[in-house]
Amino acid sequence: MRRHIVVLVAVASVAAACRPAAVTTPDVVAVMAPAVPESPDDPAWANAPEHVEKLLLQDLVEPRLMTASTPDVRVRAIAGPTEVAFRLEWNDASKDDLPGNGRFVDACAVQVPQRADPNAPDPQMGQAGKGVQIAYWRADWQATVDGRGTTIQDLYPNATVDHYPFEAPTLEKGSAAQSEMARRYAPADAAGNLRGGARTSPVEDLTAEGPGSLSPAGGSKTRGRGVRTATGWSVVIVRPLPDGLAPNARTQVALAVWEGAGKEAGARKMRSGWVALAMRRTS
Amino acid sequence: MARVHNWQIGREMSYWYPESRPKKQFAAVFDTNKCIACQTCTLACKTTWTSGKGQEYMLWNNVETKPYGSYPLAWDLKLLEMLDGGQWSGGTYTGQTIFESARAGERVLSWRPEGDDYAYPNVGEDDCAGTVDGGMSLSMPHMAWFYYLARICNHCTYPACLASCPRGSIYKRPEDGIVLVDQGRCRGYQECVKGCPYKKVYFNPMTGTSEKCIACYPKMEVGLQPQCFVNCIGKIRMAGYISTPENARPDNPIDYLVHVRKIALPMYPQYGLEPNVYYIPPIHVPPAFLRQMFGPGVDAAIAAYRNAANDPDLAGLLSLFGATESVMTRWVRKGEEVAGVDDRGTTLVRVPMTEPVHVRAGFDKIYQVMRSNCP
Repeated sequence: MRRHIVVLVAVASVAAACRPAAVTTPDVVAVMAPAVPESPDDPAWANAPEHVEKLLLQDLVEPRLMTASTPDVRVRAIAGPTEVAFRLEWNDASKDDLPGNGRFVDACAVQVPQRADPNAPDPQMGQAGKGVQIAYWRADWQATVDGRGTTIQDLYPNATVDHYPFEAPTLEKGSAAQSEMARRYAPADAAGNLRGGARTSPVEDLTAEGPGSLSPAGGSKTRGRGVRTATGWSVVIVRPLPDGLAPNARTQVALAVWEGAGKEAGARKMRSGWVALAMRRTS
Repeated sequence: MARVHNWQIGREMSYWYPESRPKKQFAAVFDTNKCIACQTCTLACKTTWTSGKGQEYMLWNNVETKPYGSYPLAWDLKLLEMLDGGQWSGGTYTGQTIFESARAGERVLSWRPEGDDYAYPNVGEDDCAGTVDGGMSLSMPHMAWFYYLARICNHCTYPACLASCPRGSIYKRPEDGIVLVDQGRCRGYQECVKGCPYKKVYFNPMTGTSEKCIACYPKMEVGLQPQCFVNCIGKIRMAGYISTPENARPDNPIDYLVHVRKIALPMYPQYGLEPNVYYIPPIHVPPAFLRQMFGPGVDAAIAAYRNAANDPDLAGLLSLFGATESVMTRWVRKGEEVAGVDDRGTTLVRVPMTEPVHVRAGFDKIYQVMRSNCP
């Protein structure tokens, strides 16, 4: 039996060695197409070259990530007449899409300069006067969009709750009065800061002019969809063409991945520096 | 980091932001000797502020039995171990604060509770340190003891939650020093949950942001004490505003108890946050334990408190605890009566130093029943 296992391992090793090396481009090249794919498993992605970006620890500003997690992210891009779609794929053994106390969710982001500039803004969230645009996808938002409920039991299946005051029999179910009372106990919702609960999109448009300055962009223009793969996540982010991205012209893009199992959130993340982002008719 | 002055540790220290004291500083005094852990304060807060979805486990106010109680689990022991027992030299703390001992990549020395750490809100309730064996008798301080510790956010002068937030979502109000999480700006990174050494910031998994005690600021703004204060049946609490030591006014109740008589002490001042909830320490607990929790002023505080019966001013002010819902920014004693006064000089409440004693007849002739008198 032991001999058989040794043989199998040897065969597997030879097979791996004979596998053609993954083709990767030094830049992220957005291949032009009449329309952009919305789904991670769209066959159109086969037409786009893959760029593998090694990720760095965010160790420039506190709080820092001190232990490296996600080593790299595989990126493909397809550009349409008005939009560009990015597909980010990375290995992640655990699916972390349940927010909670001490629990963190998997996420990724695509960042571009607000304005194309040979003297690019600081890749770490931009800088004052030289902002960046960020499209941010989160696994828990994806789960909600995909149909997961928004009760406490959806996050903590064994949770039991005696009573919420806004579910008293004296308040008509679904009434405005009931909603108003529930909002009193949900201050972030009341402030219009929809970080949890029901969502219609798993992505969020943001702007920043330096670390700590992240703000929601006015109006949501980005779409996205993420799915689990055999090895991790595959996430598509579709956003308007960034400034400066045109046929045979370049701008920059930066990427970030948060590993929920490592309690990564906010500044604690794996990130890249600027990578050239080009647009070509073919790969 | 900036250099700031922290009067509670008697020296300058490092902090993430420069010193910027508010115009007024919300503060409170809790008399641990009077607390019976009835949790009325806990429920008053819960009913008022944290009855929503995602707030089920939140206790902005909680009462735990010391030495074994803690919520979340071991909130104090874990950090004390990390801080490695700093020393005091007189009134000066010679060890490192949590800001000065922050590890690489961190803003403060801290640890992150797991979800299960919040699963036992009243662990250790009434558990006694030591056993009372047959034939033993108690002397002061007790060799076998426990006491109740009521806790809210300390609305610190140097909040670690505020320092921990990488995006400035936590702010200290300049008008009253109350520390709040901006619910429109918080992105739920939970850095404040990790950073607060008192573990008084809670993450709401339903709204995706962190929440904390707000010192009932809508009440404080109109001169009323917070819900957990006015619902306290033991009348252990008094809310008001504290001055810095050099500006202390003896007619300010909080200043008098903290700065003039020094019977109310901050909790874990060695952390370096200059917390603004002050505790009259329990008189029956071994001072070695209390010195670790409340600093080197414990022995003098207990001595002064035990002498209150011979100290009309102190006894008078203590009798104003729980006497009115209004915030007493001044107090005055006239003979056998003590009064709480507001900023405009209006008398809010008058309390006799000694309550008259009424003894009821054992047999009620009107209703033809026997009555019992409770002392």
